[in-house]
Amino acid sequence: MSDALVKVLGLGVEIGGRRIVDGVSFSADGGQVVAVIGPNGSGKTTLLRALAGLLPASGDLLVADADPRETSAEKLSRHRAYCAQKPGSAWDYRLSDLGEIVGNPLGYEDWLAKLQLGACIDRTLSSLSGGEQKSAHLAMTFASLIEPFGGVLLLDEPAAALDLGRQEAVRLAVASFAQAGAACVVATHDLGFARRCDLVVVLSEGRLAAIGRPGDVLDAEIISAVWGESASAIA
Amino acid sequence: MAATKAFLAGTFLLFVLVALSLSVGAQGFGWGDGGTLVMLRSPRVLAALAAGLALGIGGAAQQGVFRNPLADPGLTGVFGGALFGIALLLGLSPESAWQRAWFIPAAAFGGALGTSVLLVLCGGGGSTSRLLLTGLGLNAFTAAGTLVIASRSGESRELLTNGAYGDWLGMATVELTWLPVLLCLSAAFLLLPLARSLDLLSFGEDAARGFGADVGSARRKAVFLTALAAAAATCLVGQVAFIGLLAPHLARALVGPRHAKVLPLSGLLGAILLLGADTAGRGLWPQAPLSAAAVTAVIGAPLFIWIARGRHE
Repeated sequence: MSDALVKVLGLGVEIGGRRIVDGVSFSADGGQVVAVIGPNGSGKTTLLRALAGLLPASGDLLVADADPRETSAEKLSRHRAYCAQKPGSAWDYRLSDLGEIVGNPLGYEDWLAKLQLGACIDRTLSSLSGGEQKSAHLAMTFASLIEPFGGVLLLDEPAAALDLGRQEAVRLAVASFAQAGAACVVATHDLGFARRCDLVVVLSEGRLAAIGRPGDVLDAEIISAVWGESASAIA
Repeated sequence: MAATKAFLAGTFLLFVLVALSLSVGAQGFGWGDGGTLVMLRSPRVLAALAAGLALGIGGAAQQGVFRNPLADPGLTGVFGGALFGIALLLGLSPESAWQRAWFIPAAAFGGALGTSVLLVLCGGGGSTSRLLLTGLGLNAFTAAGTLVIASRSGESRELLTNGAYGDWLGMATVELTWLPVLLCLSAAFLLLPLARSLDLLSFGEDAARGFGADVGSARRKAVFLTALAAAAATCLVGQVAFIGLLAPHLARALVGPRHAKVLPLSGLLGAILLLGADTAGRGLWPQAPLSAAAVTAVIGAPLFIWIARGRHE
């Protein structure tokens, strides 16, 4: 437990007087991939934003040896990378600009190629499809975590808008970060992805509904309790 | 490469304009005996250059902070605030207003910063309509305030009315302009290092903080320095809208949206536009010169509608 790169104990987040996340606890070591799953509105995005240091939160929180609530954004970003669910840009950058903006142009180009966007480097964001734009943003996120060992990767539904090839590329990317010693926390609706993770955190109405290895957590009983009877068939 | 070409072409155009502007006057075309007319006109030219530079960079910074291509210190009420600040000082204490060189710039800065803070508090958050409606309200309020003060203070009435029409360049002298020019240059120069933060802010506050930007600090600096740029420019020109809108749009069309290029090129284009407008206003109608603000509005207003329309579609 002491070596964990992500330590969450009794985490609570309140927004506008409403408790969005309540008493969530889990931990992840370097090399582990954690899937955060749950129905829409169960608090996955809020949990990830709190881990990224973007929201005020109560409870104990440690991400890459730092409390994100008390650490500057600049310092946090050296060991933690975060990709939002629906990133967008106010200006129509070329993909070739984004690597420089994130401070790692070579790494960015490498990730673009892995996400099948290498040929699009001179195109602008607005000329890309939604899934391609999300991939370009994921490449920025991956490139920003220059030293994966001891780092934490936080991804909010990274593969939601992606085609099958890019979904697989994201899975491989996450696996490569874990292999290099990073802890990865991924919010997802993809149970196929969750089954391949080291730990599954199931949220329901902001609370921890279940936690454990995929084989223990992803059974019909829990899925039916959290998502409803109609979803139990996919277990 | 496109950026280098744009900067070189812009600098060349600026030199031509400076030469032209120094040559144009009410008495016709020429530099006078021994360049006497040049000496007389140079404070005006320098004032237009500095104000244009500050407005161009300030407009680009304000658009970056609000993530909104329709932000412009003229349209969002920051100029109105600056002029209202000057009007308050002239209305409350007309005798002492000119005693120190920094009194008028300080009053303008107080007004500009006040409206900027209100704009952030009430109009921030990403929605274009909210930003522009707040700007509309602030503009209406400050214009009404300036009008009330102008109508109550006989001696400042003409001065404030000219300021509201952006017609102060004609009274530029070394004594009146040296401090605002210095403030314009300082604000413009200090806005340049915010380029990377403004790029990151483009992806939203979460993403910017995720990538390590100190969003709060960058936003505070940009708002403060844009207010300073607008205030100093107001002291030189009066209210002039659209430069802060036009310059960044042209810059982005020429070199793309990276702020490291957009900020300096917007400054250069702002200087070209304002000096060009002032020179055209004087040169085309020497007997009844048009103010720089009137000329920029003739070009800027249709462009604003075009941009707003394109954005809506």
